[in-house]
Amino acid sequence: MGNIFVKKPKITDVDRAILSLKTQRRKLARHQQQLDAVIEAEKQAARDLIREKRKDRALLALKKKKTQEELLKQVDAWLINVEQQLADIELASKQKAVFESLKAGNNAIKAIQSEINLEDVRKLMDDTEEAKAYQDEINAILGERLSAEDEEDVLAEFENLESEITLQSLPAVPASSVPSTEAARKTPKVQPEAGLQVEDKEDEVLELPEVPTTTPVPATSDDISTKATRIKVLEEPLPA
Amino acid sequence: MQKLGGFKLPHFFNYPPYFTLQPVRETREKQVQLWKELILDYCRSQKIFVIGLEEDFPLFSNPVIERSLSHEAREVFLSALVAEGRAEWMDKSHKKCLILWLRIQAWADYILNFVKENGFEDSVMTVEDIQSGIETRGTELAGIDRCVLMRALRLLEQKGKAAIFKGTSTDDEGVKFSA
Repeated sequence: MGNIFVKKPKITDVDRAILSLKTQRRKLARHQQQLDAVIEAEKQAARDLIREKRKDRALLALKKKKTQEELLKQVDAWLINVEQQLADIELASKQKAVFESLKAGNNAIKAIQSEINLEDVRKLMDDTEEAKAYQDEINAILGERLSAEDEEDVLAEFENLESEITLQSLPAVPASSVPSTEAARKTPKVQPEAGLQVEDKEDEVLELPEVPTTTPVPATSDDISTKATRIKVLEEPLPA
Repeated sequence: MQKLGGFKLPHFFNYPPYFTLQPVRETREKQVQLWKELILDYCRSQKIFVIGLEEDFPLFSNPVIERSLSHEAREVFLSALVAEGRAEWMDKSHKKCLILWLRIQAWADYILNFVKENGFEDSVMTVEDIQSGIETRGTELAGIDRCVLMRALRLLEQKGKAAIFKGTSTDDEGVKFSA
């Protein structure tokens, strides 16, 4: 038993206030019980008196009971007040506790942030960007070298292809006796086996559209317009 | 099994020999042991804290077999409890005995546990609230003897877990528990 200064929880004025309220609550509860008992007793007394046919005394007992009941209502209201205050105090103290811990948290964040200097961070980001830019440059230079070599190859290939295509398009002309424009259109798709079919088609082509082959432009337009008028004539009777 | 106020009495309660103080040492020791346990269990279940030797304690007599413990026998059994530390004489003449079916230390631990479980740390309670308030209803603390309670609280105070104080003169004694 050596330690005299044991850490006891400190008693604040708030604690004393709470104690007062709680004591009061207890006293009021006890008072309520007493009043309940008195009311019950008076009720019983009134019953007995009525049985004894002593109406005036019975009425008196009932009146007494009434006053006690009024007092009980009063006590009930006081008790609710006391409870309310106790609840309010508790709420207020909890709010204070929350506020205190939020404040402590805030201080902690500030302390940690103060260790990181904003300038240092900026410098760090700049250095990183520089390094990246340098790397990109190196890549570009290396890349240039490579594409220069590739470009020559690509150009060569391109010229080859071009010459191939032009070679392909030339043989089409001597293959048929049909007007060159149409034949030229058709022949790239032609294969030697299908040569007969192509000729048939050409005959059909020749048979039907006689109009487009003639060169004079006004003639074609005339034909088209006559066709159109014929159609018009045909159409007219319909709506009527 | 017989019942006494909702408490199931053990078999030996119906054997007359157990109500007379046995002369033979071995049987005496067994008898004392059985009675000690019975007293503690009974008091715990009925929340009895004080036994008055002169009074008619229902446990000390069995009307069915028409036997009851003599004054001497009662004193022997209760003294045995005191020797074991489970009881205390309240006065020199051994008229009243305080039964500690929970030792004071155990009571203190119980109170501390109760405070922790229900979040009463850093809050104030009146002593009467602990004895008979709503918060303690259903726990062992309900109906605890004020003397035992105060001693347990003082023990907690020594350890720094609680502080007993009084506000104004009209106030009840209050206890503040620390976290």
